[in-house]
Amino acid sequence: MRIRKYDIDYSRRLFLSRTVQGAFATGVLAPLWPLIAKGDTSKAYPDEITSVEMYTKGKVKTGDVLTADNVDAVKDLLDPITFRQVKEMGRRIKIAPTVQDPTLLFPPAFLEATLRNKGKAKLDADGNIVEAASGNPWLGGLPFAEAQSGLEAVANLTLSWGRHDYSQYPMRQWDIGPDGKLAYQYDFAWVELQVQSRIDNTVFRGKKDLLRLFSLWFTSPQDVAGTSFLTNWYYDQRKFPDLYGYLPAFRRVRQFPTNQRFEPLLPGITWFLSDAWGAGDPMLTWGNYKVVGRQPMLGAVSQNWNGSKPGWQMGAHGGPKGQTFWDTNFSMCPECIVVETEPTGYPRAPVGKKRLWIDVRNQQLVAYNSFDRRGEIWKSVELGCSRMQDGNAAVKDPKGNYEWTWTHFHIHDIQSNRMSRILHAPSLAGGHKSQFSDNGVDVYNKYLTNQAITRLGQA
Amino acid sequence: MGKRDKLGWTGVGILLIAGAAQAQDDSAASSRADADSGSGWFRGLDVTFGGFVRAEAAVKTDDQQNANNQRGNPFDRISVARQAYVPPYAAGVLGIPPTGLTWTSIPVSNVPGAITGSDSVQRPIDPSNNAFNWHVLRAEGELGVKLTNDLKFIARVRALGDFGHYGNFDGSSLGGINGGITGGDPALYGGAPNYFDYRVDGSKRPNPLEWGGRNYMVDFPTLVLDYNHGPLNVRVGNQAIAWGQAIFFRVLDVVDGLDLRRHSVLDYAQEEFSDKRVPALGARIGYQVTDDILADAYVQKFQPTVYGNPNTQYNVIPVQFTVHDRYSDGGYDKWDKLSAGLRLKANFGQWGFQAIGVRRYNPDGAIRWSASGVNKDLPSTTSGNAANGLGVVVNAANGGHAGPFLAQTPFEASPGGVYSAAEWFHYAGLVRLDGIGALNAAVNDFAPATAKVFASPAANYAEAYNELNSFFIAAGGSLRGHIEREYFQETVLGAGVSYVTEGEPGSMLDQLIINLEASYVPERVYTSPTLGKDFLRENASVGALVVEKNYRFSQSFPATYLVFQYMFRTHDDLFGRSLRGYGATDTYSPGATTGTPGVHHANYLAFALQQPFPQDIYRIGLAVLADPRGGILVQPGLQYKPSGHWAIDGFYTYISDRLGGNPNNNVMGGMGFGNEFSLRVAYQF
Repeated sequence: MRIRKYDIDYSRRLFLSRTVQGAFATGVLAPLWPLIAKGDTSKAYPDEITSVEMYTKGKVKTGDVLTADNVDAVKDLLDPITFRQVKEMGRRIKIAPTVQDPTLLFPPAFLEATLRNKGKAKLDADGNIVEAASGNPWLGGLPFAEAQSGLEAVANLTLSWGRHDYSQYPMRQWDIGPDGKLAYQYDFAWVELQVQSRIDNTVFRGKKDLLRLFSLWFTSPQDVAGTSFLTNWYYDQRKFPDLYGYLPAFRRVRQFPTNQRFEPLLPGITWFLSDAWGAGDPMLTWGNYKVVGRQPMLGAVSQNWNGSKPGWQMGAHGGPKGQTFWDTNFSMCPECIVVETEPTGYPRAPVGKKRLWIDVRNQQLVAYNSFDRRGEIWKSVELGCSRMQDGNAAVKDPKGNYEWTWTHFHIHDIQSNRMSRILHAPSLAGGHKSQFSDNGVDVYNKYLTNQAITRLGQA
Repeated sequence: MGKRDKLGWTGVGILLIAGAAQAQDDSAASSRADADSGSGWFRGLDVTFGGFVRAEAAVKTDDQQNANNQRGNPFDRISVARQAYVPPYAAGVLGIPPTGLTWTSIPVSNVPGAITGSDSVQRPIDPSNNAFNWHVLRAEGELGVKLTNDLKFIARVRALGDFGHYGNFDGSSLGGINGGITGGDPALYGGAPNYFDYRVDGSKRPNPLEWGGRNYMVDFPTLVLDYNHGPLNVRVGNQAIAWGQAIFFRVLDVVDGLDLRRHSVLDYAQEEFSDKRVPALGARIGYQVTDDILADAYVQKFQPTVYGNPNTQYNVIPVQFTVHDRYSDGGYDKWDKLSAGLRLKANFGQWGFQAIGVRRYNPDGAIRWSASGVNKDLPSTTSGNAANGLGVVVNAANGGHAGPFLAQTPFEASPGGVYSAAEWFHYAGLVRLDGIGALNAAVNDFAPATAKVFASPAANYAEAYNELNSFFIAAGGSLRGHIEREYFQETVLGAGVSYVTEGEPGSMLDQLIINLEASYVPERVYTSPTLGKDFLRENASVGALVVEKNYRFSQSFPATYLVFQYMFRTHDDLFGRSLRGYGATDTYSPGATTGTPGVHHANYLAFALQQPFPQDIYRIGLAVLADPRGGILVQPGLQYKPSGHWAIDGFYTYISDRLGGNPNNNVMGGMGFGNEFSLRVAYQF
């Protein structure tokens, strides 16, 4: 029997102390990253914050389902909007085992690059991420595996969104109205091509001024099919990305203002470009980064990929019509950094600040709340991730390792009570498939040029 | 919405034949077939299909009718006095000394039972009081078939049916008057309005991928094979192409003409010309030369701008004319009549550049008088059943039959034409023509046939006025004019530059998108204001300055999209009409020798905004187009998207052409009938 030396209050006090002192060590019982390198994080934290049963003193156990009846026991492990979803809106969340194997939390190649390059990054005088020794752009993997500040934590989210050199996501979105009815349904494809800070340590087509190319195009419904956006992200995080759009009504590519990142792209959609991955804008266009806390959280970090089901479909439940929320699995994230930041580069943005909960094990987003200019809580963004293994179904990388990716989003505008829930699907109409490699196809010319988005606009 | 499945060729065939639409997948728990299903030959084939059905209506908000139509003519059932004069060329026949004889010299007296020298005429057509300008049901569907990773088949079909709840004119109602309307395509001029059938002389189907009838049309605005490999993109088939950054002001957007049968240019202005560009068979080749430079070339079969048919709601050619479109019998529809062009487009951060070179047939064409080909003698009685001595004399002077000679002139002695000189001059101004010059061109260009019927050039307004009234009386009431539409090759050279400003973040001057475009066409051919055989040729330039801004006025509402545009044109107006025809009035001093002062340069200002509401479920829009010479179009609108299936748009169009005096001096002159409220309710699947 384990001596409960490290009860929940111990961890809480330690996290509080580290936050106040600005100390950014990770792990409670032992430094985290040496354990990650060894492939087992179980000795980094006491059971009291890795076991939901211990944390709740037996009120909630792994395998249980959170409901309005028991969610109070984990109120401190959820962001306020997620708590309200369970408490008031009928959301149910299944508790999955806590992840101890860090390979479940990364794409294998990205974890390798992170470990290979660990400790080599720094922020330069401008605030951009560089290899400390050379001053050159970052090498690939997480630049700040042990983030020492809010900015470094957000840099981890920003630099490589999908944590692959190329990602292609077929996405299906259901927008639920305040009455719980399905209001809109959109299909769209999302492509990220990492130009620098690549896992393969190359610079794509020699574009040394860019960080990534990103395009997004809607494939249905018919009235928006072909609506496409193309963004060139600069490596310099002080610069706004170039933004081009193809709107079917105009039948041509047009240039758009680059700072319009807080606008609804289409009717009923609750998210903005700014919300992507919790880091949808160049990080230095935001400011006043602060670490405001450290805490354990429940997050959708594993066992959320339904690869054995057609369309990788997730079930839905809750809300007035039983379809507002995905069926999700949450597990304990023993230590999350809580970062707040403000859109200082967007003085007319409707967002006053955002609060991010970032899992220190993989420096990935667990939860994200935004606040309006009055300081009222506005939206939550819940990112679900998983190793791509579900029974016999699996997606593996070229080396035969299980892939890792995001599986779903919940984006809940609590002020209007509209929900956008998004599914990472295997494919879309038109043949756009989920993939994490270009598979030898010239994806740049196919998806990431002005000509490409014109063509994707179809008729 | 479209739903994706793996289909074999059989399935594709069924889908194509049946036009099957698959219902929207609303269920969260529903599944979609995996991309890896399918087998054998059919492996890798993906099919999408989506579409919508939309009811569209436009309700008139005032009592102005389209003056270009028979029942919108302001002279309908209005009495107008006419006085005939002895034709100078008839002096010999009548035994009158010809010396000094003009069209103002000798008025013809009334001789009961023999000659009508003066009368009071009414157009024998009842004015309409239409409540609707537009009332159609539209369906569109788009099919995409991914054949290989690089090759895709795309088809978009569009179908419209018109309910026809209008106070229609029926050409056959005039059949009892001098044989009715004889010339022209009976399908366009002989009966009820033909809302959609696109016909030209010599061809009933000048657009090979369009099928139409009086009340319906079906076409393929897109039917292409799209091939993409690396930086190369080739699209072959029927397609429309839009170039340029300026919206609505067509400076570099020169590839395709416009189809004005579908609500003319009075659809929701914010949608620009997405439904208007005339598709054409051809090939478009794009090549991403470098990461920053795109080359975009096309070659396509020439397809003209399509105007509304006679007596349809938005017809722009007065129906006193019979139009002979030479697209087919002039050979312009042949495959050697191609248009081709190249555009280079480059983006360098804040800067964008583009340049075009196009060799094309101007899709608008140019119009001039044409021999009517209608062999019909002048009647022996007037429309009031009085004796038509003038007509009898003209017939007699030509061996009893003036018809063969009239057929060689641009005129036809039939009802539904111009009944009085007053009407002639009113309409000349309305369509930017020179009423005096047009008469003289008709006389001179078709001599000696015109002399055979005693027509002669008029020296001034008074003579023209009298000559016209004389012939309208002699024609038994009215004359219909015949005109022909020809097409001409031209070279369009253009360039554009855009710049995105960087100012204080959040300020009005930050992220302004400034775009300047200009084009130049040497020797562009225009319709002469006289409709003479010699078309006008001008070196025409067009320029536009566009400033766009997205600005958040409040934290509660998404950014407002604002755009200001200015256009400058040297020789023509927004619709391609020569500015030399501007400024005509209904009356002139008797000695006036020209009917159009013309204007130099045209300037237009446009402003548009879009304001989405939170979540973009409601979106208000406003578009304003102003001609500083006294015309304005204001169009506020609201778009409502209550669900994924349904979309409702409402917009009000206000047009005034009288803010600066003479409406014939501004581009809106004659468009006042377009004051209307439009409502569109769409269901998409």
